[in-house]
Amino acid sequence: MHNRELGSEMSDAGKKDVAETPINEELYFRRVAALEMGGKEAIERQHANGRLTVRERFSELTDKESFREVGTLAGSGEYDENNKLVRVTPAPYVAGMARVNGRPVAIGGEDFTVRGGTTFGAARRKGGQGGFIEDLAHYYKIPLVNLIDGAGGTVTSAKRRGYVAFPGVHGFERSVQLLGEVPVVSAVLGTAAGGPAGRAILSHFSVMVRGTSQIFAAGPPVVKRSLGRDIDKEELGGAATAVDKAGTIHNAADTEEEALEQIRRFLSYMPQNVWELPPVVPCDDPVDRCEVALRDIVPEKRTQPYSMHDLIDLVVDKDSSFEIQPTNGKSVITTLARLDGRVVGIVANNPKFYSGAMDASSAHKQIRFMELCDTFHIPLVFLVDVPGFMVGLKAEQEATLREGMRAVYVAGQLTVPTITLVIRKCYGMAGMATCNKNDIDLKLSWPSGEWGSLPVEGGVAAAFRRDIANSDDPKAREKELEAELRAYASPFRTAEAFAVEEIIDPSETRPILCEYIALAEGRLRANLGPKRKAGVSP
Amino acid sequence: MTITNVASEVIGSVWKVEMNVGDAVKAGDTIMILESMKMEIPVEAPVDGKITEFKVQPEDSVDEDQVLCTIES
Repeated sequence: MHNRELGSEMSDAGKKDVAETPINEELYFRRVAALEMGGKEAIERQHANGRLTVRERFSELTDKESFREVGTLAGSGEYDENNKLVRVTPAPYVAGMARVNGRPVAIGGEDFTVRGGTTFGAARRKGGQGGFIEDLAHYYKIPLVNLIDGAGGTVTSAKRRGYVAFPGVHGFERSVQLLGEVPVVSAVLGTAAGGPAGRAILSHFSVMVRGTSQIFAAGPPVVKRSLGRDIDKEELGGAATAVDKAGTIHNAADTEEEALEQIRRFLSYMPQNVWELPPVVPCDDPVDRCEVALRDIVPEKRTQPYSMHDLIDLVVDKDSSFEIQPTNGKSVITTLARLDGRVVGIVANNPKFYSGAMDASSAHKQIRFMELCDTFHIPLVFLVDVPGFMVGLKAEQEATLREGMRAVYVAGQLTVPTITLVIRKCYGMAGMATCNKNDIDLKLSWPSGEWGSLPVEGGVAAAFRRDIANSDDPKAREKELEAELRAYASPFRTAEAFAVEEIIDPSETRPILCEYIALAEGRLRANLGPKRKAGVSP
Repeated sequence: MTITNVASEVIGSVWKVEMNVGDAVKAGDTIMILESMKMEIPVEAPVDGKITEFKVQPEDSVDEDQVLCTIES
């Protein structure tokens, strides 16, 4: 069943060997039929659409010669009047196990060249919305990879069955259960609607390809019928909508190869399951690397932004960061990275975008990322520069307050160690979402740190409205009050009160974070296993 | 000739315009500075070219995705 073995069987020598025993001849015939997928023409069409076949995707994604197929022979056989096999159309779903970065995964994907990858009626589902491959991931506690390129159910299946199925296939509960057990990743590599689209979302990491893949609850014909609107499928569900605007899918890639590379990269940070710790890799970036450049990365002028991405790269192991959702909810950056070879999740506010203020989309993004890290025992580092929740009519209409409080709630339920390092601003309830007050609550700060219930500007105008209005020179009075209150805002005064645990020299950031993350290992090890679900989130 | 619309990524207001119509720009040059959430947000040229039109002026309010100026390249 090995692809490579089959390749050698197909050479002349191999052919001769199997031809000597009739039973193997049939096996050989059926295996070849499976490898031929939907036939030469269908494969050419797939390539002409800028897409790889499911088998090409598997070999691109998985370690060389590591794919061991399961269900190779599943399909529809055609027999002549003597019951002799004439032809086999393979099942429109290919599955098995393979290795990625040397570690086993369960992998499955629709074969679009066979009946457009539509749902396949067999004694047992191979995979997709629950089936053999999901069971394999569950029972063997290995990550699940879904490569989605299928149209899902069609109305024609009702004709075949003789009745319409009630929504929710059996086995779907397994797909739900897996999210608390093993890493689940999905790639949308064609046009996904309905079931396959839903399955793409039931994952810890999802990726799609700009230009050749689309995802939506329902495609253009349904939109036309329901709302009378004409819309092109790329506009409706291409990456610009699904990734950049909506955050339905985490990341976009420019090519299928890049999408599959992103999956390899994501899995490299993940443990095999929630009963294990994420893998530690050897690190040749010195732990004691002090970056003097960090001392003046924050501009003296409080109204000027700086590059939080540069700051992250100066701190973490060289080339170790992998950003999740880089194009959505941009006022926060969520990045998987390593410190001395150990995996960390970094949540960093982005001063270049709304000053780092938390809006509904960045709250969603931060919540999902915190839950991901908490589930897979990845400690979190918060690099804080948040002025508060986003303000204004649009922000209120998007329920920023509710979504932001959900972030606070989820941060308060974290069980992985968290380190909060204030870079500049840490204000209000959005500031609360950057630390875990229920835990050891370790808060470090750079000397540039400032915090409070709300920033002095604006805050003064609100609290001293009458005082300012009654003054001879209201503008000057407001400035005077601001200056008075700003004196209390020195981070050193808070450190005197031991209300932040330490103020550090920015250049020492990497050594200090590396030490704490190394320290976290014993604690993480003591808390392995699935995480308890708690309460109703706001 | 292609015309590139330079749009605002944020809600805010125009603080100052650093260039003039007809100026040559390189990708990454600061064209204007917006003020949003008490922060100065530089608007950078996405492409090399020449500024052909400003659609806003200082103190104008701007919305997310609103076109601020156009570049011909």
